[in-house]
Amino acid sequence: MQHYTSLLLQAALSGITNGFVYALVGMGLAVIFKGSRIVNAMQGEFAVIGALFTVLALQGGQLPYPVAIIAGIAVGAVSGVAIDIFCVRPMARRNASEEGFLLLTIGLAFALSAAALYFGGRDSHLLPGYGGDGVIEILEATMPVHAVWLIVVSLVVVLALRLFYTKTLLGLSMTAASADPDGATTTGINVSRMRLYTFMLGGGVGAIAGILVTPLISMNYQMGIVLTLKGFAAAIMGGLSNPLGAVVGGVALGLLESLAVIGFPSGYRDVVALSILVVIMIVMPHGLLGRAGRVGG
Amino acid sequence: MFPHPRLAIATASVLAWFLLPQVLSLHYLDVLNFAAILAIGGLGVGLLLGQCGIVNLGQAAFYGCGAYVTAYGTTVLGWPALPSLVFGAVISGGLAALIGFPILRLSGFFLALATLAMGSIAGVLFFEWDWLTGGTLGMGGIPKLSLLGFELSTPGRYHYFIWPLVVLLLWLARNLVDSRPGLAMRAMRDAAPAAEVLAVDMHGLKTAMFVICAVLGSVAGSLFAHYVSFVSVQSFTVEKSIMFLLVPVVAGVHSVFGIVIGALFVALVPELLSGLGDMHQVLFGLVLVLVVTVVPGGLTGAFKQFRLIRRGR
Repeated sequence: MQHYTSLLLQAALSGITNGFVYALVGMGLAVIFKGSRIVNAMQGEFAVIGALFTVLALQGGQLPYPVAIIAGIAVGAVSGVAIDIFCVRPMARRNASEEGFLLLTIGLAFALSAAALYFGGRDSHLLPGYGGDGVIEILEATMPVHAVWLIVVSLVVVLALRLFYTKTLLGLSMTAASADPDGATTTGINVSRMRLYTFMLGGGVGAIAGILVTPLISMNYQMGIVLTLKGFAAAIMGGLSNPLGAVVGGVALGLLESLAVIGFPSGYRDVVALSILVVIMIVMPHGLLGRAGRVGG
Repeated sequence: MFPHPRLAIATASVLAWFLLPQVLSLHYLDVLNFAAILAIGGLGVGLLLGQCGIVNLGQAAFYGCGAYVTAYGTTVLGWPALPSLVFGAVISGGLAALIGFPILRLSGFFLALATLAMGSIAGVLFFEWDWLTGGTLGMGGIPKLSLLGFELSTPGRYHYFIWPLVVLLLWLARNLVDSRPGLAMRAMRDAAPAAEVLAVDMHGLKTAMFVICAVLGSVAGSLFAHYVSFVSVQSFTVEKSIMFLLVPVVAGVHSVFGIVIGALFVALVPELLSGLGDMHQVLFGLVLVLVVTVVPGGLTGAFKQFRLIRRGR
């Protein structure tokens, strides 16, 4: 009996950790959807770029860890800006369709994953954990110290995003620019500038996700699409345009996944997660939090 | 100079097609046969995208389904090729109807991601059900197709079989597009509320189209299995689904015969760039981004625009 409770607790702990990983990717998706009405099928690539660049800066450039992290986040943000200027802006100018933007981000995911293969090689990379590689014991289950950091940082990021979008003029302008572009222009908001900031923020949050994940799961050029799908499931469960909802969705998804593994062989983890994604989209199009979840955040 | 330039072009290309196995190396014939397989699977995705505006990111699920039914039927059960192919198509079509009925209520991004999820789930199942599919080890020994006692054992022979089949399927697809249901679909795509008022059964039409797409994917999978006589999970990944999607995107979604150009592009360009090592994938990706951002109508759309500009002068 004792054995089963500790097994259950262990599954729950690793589920929550994974859930925050999905939440981080989902938050970036939510930021970009909120500010541009585009579902970014390459959000996971931001995580790959950020993580691989941090690895490069740390191991190749011999930079101190905090500097390497900041460099990784900056690279994510800069790639977001580049994508907006070179791809999204010309397409938005000729009013491209929703499918057009989807195909664009799929093409970008393909190109960036290939670029990560070309520049980073086939190897998987790990970053050192914050607070060393130690574990903390909770009853009879264990959890890496780094996982606690991951959860804390995720919560800080989501609170910062919430304050940014509800309290600052810039955050409100970014929301307005995508919710009603014409109205926003009338009140003097530079809509295309706001979309630029949105992609910068989305790229930066994506890179943070990658850098936080890499001490737990080794990162390679193929990880992007997996992260995108899981992050999308998290964001969808949270209502898609709400970063806080992505956290709720991510943790729910992570818990369901890891508890399902107790009953099924571990290979079916993704099947469970993706089936949940499809069912949620059909049954609850506004996410777990319902319509109200769409407003705030 | 020529009284009928179109006829001349058509005759020349048929002649060129006929002579290709004599001129080309085996390697490039191989690539061309893969292009034909891509064209068949991509035609399904193209019909869905062009006629209904649905982005299907899960075609590899049906492609794999057809390939595995053919592999299992012909090797383990000892069935002939045609019943295996038909049975695969029936299973794929049935699955498409079952999956399509609920998910086709979604639209745009959400529908695309639902199909992506479907493709990923299929990938996991192909891997996990190794008693049926052989998992990563795959299944070998699938017999070559034979037609009227003539075994299609070399790439050259397959070339003469598969391309006429592609043309036949394209012709059927064009007739479908120009038929009454095709017109209804066009109305549905361009003015959904108007189509609904005119009693177009949108959900039914979309489901039917999804089934047709799945059947074409399944047939492509069966033909692939016979051609390479070995199937394993590596052939049915999400990347394969993306390749199928790229065929109509590169070609331009509104042109049925453009599918051939798209398939040749998707099969040949990575091959031509492969001399550059891993860099070729980066370039291929960038070419795709360029096609989507700069020529949204695809290659056939760009050609049309070019002709319009010339005529304007």
